[in-house]
Amino acid sequence: MLANNNLKICHRLMWREFRFHKGCSILLVTALTLVSMLCTFSFAIGFMVRSGLKYSYQIQYGSTSHILYYGLNSVQAASVARHADVKETVRLKVLGLLSDDMLGYRNVKLAVADDGWAAATEAVPVSGRMPEADDEIAMDELTLQSLAIPRKEGAKVQLRWTPVDGGEERVDTFYLCGWWKSPMGYTETCAWVTPNAAGRLCPDAPDYLDLGVTLYRPRNLDRQAQEILREQGADKVPYTTNLAYNRARRQRMNEKAFPFYLMNIAVVVCGILMVYNIVRISTVQNARFYGRVKSLGMSPRQIGRFIVVQAAYLCLPAIPAGWLSGFVLYMVTAPYVLLGTGGEHPAFLFLNPAPFACSALLTWFTAFTACLLPARLVSGSRPAEAMKYTGLSAAIPAEDRSGAKKRRCRVPFMALYGIRRDKKKAVFAAASMCLSMTLLCGFWTQYISTDEEKYMREIAYCDYLIADASTANSLQRYNPASHSVTPELIEEIAGQKAVTAIGTVRTMEIPMYADEAGRAPIVESFEGENEEGVVRKAYMSGSPDWVSGYEKFRTTGEYIGIASGIDGLAESVILSEGEYVEGVYDAERFAAGNYVIAAGASETSFVSTPPIGSSVEIGGRQFKIMAAVSYKGHIITGADSREAAFNVSYYMPVQVFEELFPECGIRNVLVNIDHNSQKEFEEFLSKKIRDTGIAVKMRSDYQWEFGNALFHNYVIPIFVGAVLFLIGILNFANALVTGVLIRKKEMAVYESLGMTQLQLRRLLVGEGLMYGGMMTAFLVPAVSLMTWLWTGWWAVYSASAWCVTWKYSLLPMWIALPVLLVLVMVIPLGCLHMIRKESVTQRLQIVE
Amino acid sequence: MITVQNLKKYYGSGNSQVKALDGVDLTVAKGEFAAIVGASGSGKTTFLNIIGGLDIPTEGKVVVDGVNLAGLREEQMAVFRRKKVGFIFQNYNLVPTLTVKENILFPLDLDGSKVNESFFAEIVGLLGLEEKLKVYPAMLSGGQQQRAAIARAMIAKPSVILADEPTGNLDSRNGQNVAGLLKMTAQVYHRTLVMITHNLELAQMADRVLYMEDGRIVSK
Repeated sequence: MLANNNLKICHRLMWREFRFHKGCSILLVTALTLVSMLCTFSFAIGFMVRSGLKYSYQIQYGSTSHILYYGLNSVQAASVARHADVKETVRLKVLGLLSDDMLGYRNVKLAVADDGWAAATEAVPVSGRMPEADDEIAMDELTLQSLAIPRKEGAKVQLRWTPVDGGEERVDTFYLCGWWKSPMGYTETCAWVTPNAAGRLCPDAPDYLDLGVTLYRPRNLDRQAQEILREQGADKVPYTTNLAYNRARRQRMNEKAFPFYLMNIAVVVCGILMVYNIVRISTVQNARFYGRVKSLGMSPRQIGRFIVVQAAYLCLPAIPAGWLSGFVLYMVTAPYVLLGTGGEHPAFLFLNPAPFACSALLTWFTAFTACLLPARLVSGSRPAEAMKYTGLSAAIPAEDRSGAKKRRCRVPFMALYGIRRDKKKAVFAAASMCLSMTLLCGFWTQYISTDEEKYMREIAYCDYLIADASTANSLQRYNPASHSVTPELIEEIAGQKAVTAIGTVRTMEIPMYADEAGRAPIVESFEGENEEGVVRKAYMSGSPDWVSGYEKFRTTGEYIGIASGIDGLAESVILSEGEYVEGVYDAERFAAGNYVIAAGASETSFVSTPPIGSSVEIGGRQFKIMAAVSYKGHIITGADSREAAFNVSYYMPVQVFEELFPECGIRNVLVNIDHNSQKEFEEFLSKKIRDTGIAVKMRSDYQWEFGNALFHNYVIPIFVGAVLFLIGILNFANALVTGVLIRKKEMAVYESLGMTQLQLRRLLVGEGLMYGGMMTAFLVPAVSLMTWLWTGWWAVYSASAWCVTWKYSLLPMWIALPVLLVLVMVIPLGCLHMIRKESVTQRLQIVE
Repeated sequence: MITVQNLKKYYGSGNSQVKALDGVDLTVAKGEFAAIVGASGSGKTTFLNIIGGLDIPTEGKVVVDGVNLAGLREEQMAVFRRKKVGFIFQNYNLVPTLTVKENILFPLDLDGSKVNESFFAEIVGLLGLEEKLKVYPAMLSGGQQQRAAIARAMIAKPSVILADEPTGNLDSRNGQNVAGLLKMTAQVYHRTLVMITHNLELAQMADRVLYMEDGRIVSK
């Protein structure tokens, strides 16, 4: 007989509660919408950062497949494709490798067109199409630029390539039918030809192919790759696994996304406080409600269900609204957080349902926890106690007992007593306000202290760095024959009113020789130890090309020298403002053309060039080394050949360089402008370089990067700080509201004893002003001090101190304080107006 | 029907200990109407709360309609209140968000029991609430609210009706009416009724009047 429970009643009861307390319900739904919005936003950003990083690892790997098997025969490939753990496979039939020196560090395979493989490696033509005729070929833009082939359908493509079956290097002619923009990080790509062309080019090609495998569960890729092979009896087949699924990489992805997930803890805690504070306004009614329904036989299980239903009703409108607003916020923010998605909006590129699910879960948890708290207040009480719940402690503060006799009952004293009675609430409100205001002021100070001018000075040597099409990417080897930057273009740029300085850089790799005396200082430097006791050449052990180049130099004296012709702004940045390791730069003697300035390592603590005063032969002409300057790598874009990984650069005037290497194009152009004309100049420049393949790093790019870094570092924290501050304000307002509302009866008693409405107002405004005054007296010194200490430390010791000019500001606090002062007066008066709607008699009958 | 043996309820400890009930023994027979009178703080409400399962005693035994309350867990106690006891409070304790009809049927809804429509109509008719079924408690007078509370207490046909100052918030005319209705409905449906009141005149309507003082029943 004691087991029957009807849970459906909870829905009706809740629906009525929801409808009856519309104002409170709307407030609660709004608060939960805020929670849902922030959770959706931070989870979506976190997931996007994680997915973006995964994508970049996939780019490094060169494919979205989980495993790549190399050299399987067609029977083995078919068998792997049928394996139970394999979701799908893509195939690649490689004919050979492009062997043109100009491709530098990139590995381009001549292969039979395959749509699946092309999709997995982002090698699908975006302009034009895949090859259909036997003499057609589709290639990526970087390869086209490196080989100086125009991006035009039908353009003649003469390829040097080496067959994989070990045949001789050969040259074949194709016609371009399609091209695509490879992701910048891809070191490997394909040049597609038709199967018929493959049969014609390699009639006796062995039956080998590469197989990209996508698994159902991409975990322990190595183990799975080996097991699949073992089952085929092909243990020896080489394979690689996708870096994006490597444990360390996964950990890195999680670490990157973690700060965004972490934000959710603050959001949930603040959300619970916010919702709880709204619920708390009617704590007494809620507690009594539970007491009442308990007395009528509502069981703990039914009460539990009631709370679950209450949370669900609140979440029902709040979650979709939060999803929508959170998504909008995410969409606006995403492009600033994740860069390099090739023009696609990152918000859509990495859209995932998981953030929405997580957000819904946390919002529900917030609602449930906040709804549970009033029930928990009376959970330990018997129904008889719950029905009499007043929310007030019976204890009288010790001071009151002693002080009560001494003073008469004056309105200010009564106001003071009102505040002291709610000490806990006041302390809580002050602490949360102090924390949120410090966060706001701190991040605001950091925001305004980050100095764009300092940033630009440190990051960029010039306002615009223009690069030849063959060096648009750091992996591309510079092709001196490219000539995409023409003298006419430079003339036109120089003719712009806005331009204040311009300079060019031309480079040419040349085989050089150093005798014993010439190599001695370099060898001594690299074989010697640095301040930390490490042999310097050990730092380069990760670069086998450098090591072999250095060893060749050390043993034979042969090395690659890079002759650089510089003028104008380039000369002034590299030489006039350069850091000299040895010797002195004399502009006049340098301009005469008999001297060169040598540059080795970028370190200034050791010599890595032949001795000053010694002679070097460049292009058949003898030069004397005037001085050794530290190498500024940032100015020269793209890559040199692998043989030049170990090199010595020699700077000479442009006129001399042109005499020696008249066929060499312009590698880089440096431009400074009058910043007032930036917009017009950039419009001009963009128009000029459109569809030429020329790359430009613009001043606005640096500014955008600066703005983005600023946004990423400060705007999101300021936004979170503002939300926390809003919650702080809500707590504060709530403390004021509850401070009046729970004293309905007390007010009625005062009125019954003859207190006028004016006196009541004075009492409440007095209370409010004292409350606000005390809050201000605490907040101003506390927030000022904490912000000062925090931002002062940050301006000197943080990682971004190099671009900071400390501007201590408490602006958010100065804006917030008047708001608080208005609230402390308006809210109590509003509440008084509300409670006076009930008559004195009605209020006196309230049971406490 | 109700058996109470050596019932004690103490609050606090040491010097500040308050003995709300200090060894109460009582038996109320089935269908009997007992009134408990006494000064404020004499322990009347505590006594009623304990026999209704709203509070737990420090010591002693309470058996209501064969159910020993000492052995009940919280969940069982809730169902006990729902099925065995009908409460009438001084401040009515109607759920403000439910209509009068829903308030009356609330104990049945909690239980998931079917409504006996004829019994409902009969009780509503008896208490004169036919016209007020669709309105919310806030739109009723005190007397009407208390009549709705009486109907609610009766609807689940509990064995015992416990009324704590049911006329305390009403004027004397309304008080008399409500007390009369309460007695009548208890008699009509053969319910045991225990009523707490300050009003000796109302108490005289009971079959038996019990006087409480300092947590004890001093005379019957």
